[in-house]
Amino acid sequence: MSSVVSLFPIPPAMAVVVTAPTSATDDIRHLIKPTAALPPELSVNAVGEALSRPEYSGLMSLPIVDAGGMPVGSISRFELMVRVFMRPYGRELHGRRPIATLMNTQPLIIAADTTVDAASRFIAENIRQPISDDFIVVDEHGKYLGMGVVLDVLGAMAGRLTQQATDLELANRNLRSSQSQLIQSEKMASLGQMVAGLAHEINTPLGYVKNNVEMTRGIVADAQTLLGSYQQVVDALLAPEPPPAPIFEALVQQLEEQRAICDAETLQDLRSLLDDTVFGVAQIGDLVGNLKDFSRLDKARIEQVDLHKLIESALKIGGNLLRKKNVVIERRFGEIPEVECSPAQINQVLLNLITNAAQAIEHEHGKIVLRTQQVGKHVFLLVEDNGRGIPTDVLPCIFDPFFTTKPIGQGTGLGLSICYQIMQDHRGHIRATSVPGQGTRFLVALPQRALAEQAQASES
Amino acid sequence: MSANPLATVLFVDDEERILRSLKMLFRGRYNVLTTSSGSEAVAIAKRQPVHVIVSDQRMPEMLGVEVLRHVREASPQTMRLLLTGYSDLQAIVASVNEGEIFRFIEKPWDPGYLHDVVEQAAQIALQEFALPQLPSPAVIASSAVQPLPHAGAKLLVLDEDPATWRLVRELVPETLEVLHAGNVEQALQILGEHEITLVIAELRHQKDDIPGTLKILKSFNPHVLTIVVTQLRDSRSLIELINQGQIYRFLPKPISRELLRRSIAAALEHYLQLRSTPILLKRHVVEASKTDTGSLSSRLLDYWRRVRDNARTRA
Repeated sequence: MSSVVSLFPIPPAMAVVVTAPTSATDDIRHLIKPTAALPPELSVNAVGEALSRPEYSGLMSLPIVDAGGMPVGSISRFELMVRVFMRPYGRELHGRRPIATLMNTQPLIIAADTTVDAASRFIAENIRQPISDDFIVVDEHGKYLGMGVVLDVLGAMAGRLTQQATDLELANRNLRSSQSQLIQSEKMASLGQMVAGLAHEINTPLGYVKNNVEMTRGIVADAQTLLGSYQQVVDALLAPEPPPAPIFEALVQQLEEQRAICDAETLQDLRSLLDDTVFGVAQIGDLVGNLKDFSRLDKARIEQVDLHKLIESALKIGGNLLRKKNVVIERRFGEIPEVECSPAQINQVLLNLITNAAQAIEHEHGKIVLRTQQVGKHVFLLVEDNGRGIPTDVLPCIFDPFFTTKPIGQGTGLGLSICYQIMQDHRGHIRATSVPGQGTRFLVALPQRALAEQAQASES
Repeated sequence: MSANPLATVLFVDDEERILRSLKMLFRGRYNVLTTSSGSEAVAIAKRQPVHVIVSDQRMPEMLGVEVLRHVREASPQTMRLLLTGYSDLQAIVASVNEGEIFRFIEKPWDPGYLHDVVEQAAQIALQEFALPQLPSPAVIASSAVQPLPHAGAKLLVLDEDPATWRLVRELVPETLEVLHAGNVEQALQILGEHEITLVIAELRHQKDDIPGTLKILKSFNPHVLTIVVTQLRDSRSLIELINQGQIYRFLPKPISRELLRRSIAAALEHYLQLRSTPILLKRHVVEASKTDTGSLSSRLLDYWRRVRDNARTRA
């Protein structure tokens, strides 16, 4: 037996492919067909008979394995036919010889833990043409395990390709959804800041309105009592029989006391309290109205809008920060036509630019200039601050997603990239110029008529 | 009370309508002054006795806590209240550490509640203003390194993490006793056996309600000062700790050694002041806690009984 091994050593060309599989189902193990191997000394005739056995029917070639379990070659149906059985005297010439004399001494041998990908690459590079072989599968020591069918590998590859396409599709979808989640979280972050500011804005008028209403209730009760006292005095005076003097005096005394509690001054104050209350309630209504306008859910809706109104509403919403920083707002509004846009989205851009401008100001003389102008078929808005400016090396990156110079947790770096995206959707432009130490200027150009369907398409 | 002169109450807010409204609410009861300027408020407090000052926080020219800090320096007897619609953490912490405020009130306020609080503050201030002269208070921001006073003081550190205790031990002289409790049970035991001057506590604890404990402790035992050292950043519970627990200082973790040292020094000095002028204790009057502290109450009552018994045996 050992002579056979020395006669047919596995040549270097039969190098076994071994790659670390990425997962159990990834390797070719599941493709192995347990197949009884033929010994190298088996006669060609016997091999010919074996080929017709049903257990070998699915294989193009059969494995030839020595007594030590090591594969030494393979014999293909096609070769046996061509070289022996279809040749005149072929059977007579070769029939009794051991199959080792005819076998392919360089069969395809693939380790069981090879990935389907690597196996298919190996087969493609090494298989003989026309394809008439299958491959031998060995364990990590090179010992014979079974046969693998080339077609199965192709089938597995096809399946994997479909799977990969699905995976890619899924990855793509995940990426998109995580992107929109990030945009959402950026919105929530700015919303959080806004809500804190708005709470203060609302709590102040709410404070005096509540107090005034409570006091009014008290004063009205006093006034009611006072009216009651008047009534009693009047009744006493008009009665056919006037009451005795002491009783009448007591009534007048009571009236005087109540008049002291609910005097003219109090009633005058009550008027101003009510005026303040009306004012405060209107202010709260205004704020809430702005907030509602601002966060409109029908964000894809395209409307004809007065940009100046949007600017005013963004200034109100961002008002808390502006006041906190003592920033002066200078409006240099020109004559501009209404623009066709998604108001909620443009609001977001405006608030972002105004907030950024305010945040860039670190001194006491902050000023933000807002300029509007019509140029051809575009409406231009210029937002100019006298803040710290943007360093030259930072300026090119400001519209990049996730680029931020703010400390971790204070900004996602998405604000301006969202603005950029919104302007793209509107077929508009946004640009920035800056002089470090002097200020920054953002230019927004909106086409008077953005293509409605364009903006809507990018929304969905 | 009729013999008493009217207390002077000063309201500071940048919204005129708030001032008008408050003036109306308190008209006739007090000598009501109003101003929309923080610096004007400080000037008024320097010029004339102001018993109670109620200030807004967010104002363009000066923050409310700054106003209160200046007033505290100029007129320490003035009772200080913050009335704000914007309860950010920074303001709350500053109101404790710099303003040493009596109450933190949120807008919109409840008129009846505000009434009671201002009345309580006015009564305390009227008594204090009647005293001859008070020693100047310790200021947390003072850079002067003062020696830690009062060798007989006892400190209790209530924190699961013994690192806080070790740090305090390092910061104070050997002569000061520093005890450590890892939970409320141990703390009560120690409080029952020792007369504690200052409690330094972490609010977050695995199962015990530390804020609740501090509130009850303060209501039973107003002369024990508390420094809260914590990672907890919750506006709501901090405001409650001010109003119901009268915490003396609030320090965020990780602890700044210098800040902690100064806070302990200020607390010990304040403690001496309280001992020499017991009327000052009234400033530490707390509001009844609205949170459920049922089981805590009974445990603390136990502790209280123990303290009383100890006092009896000592006497």
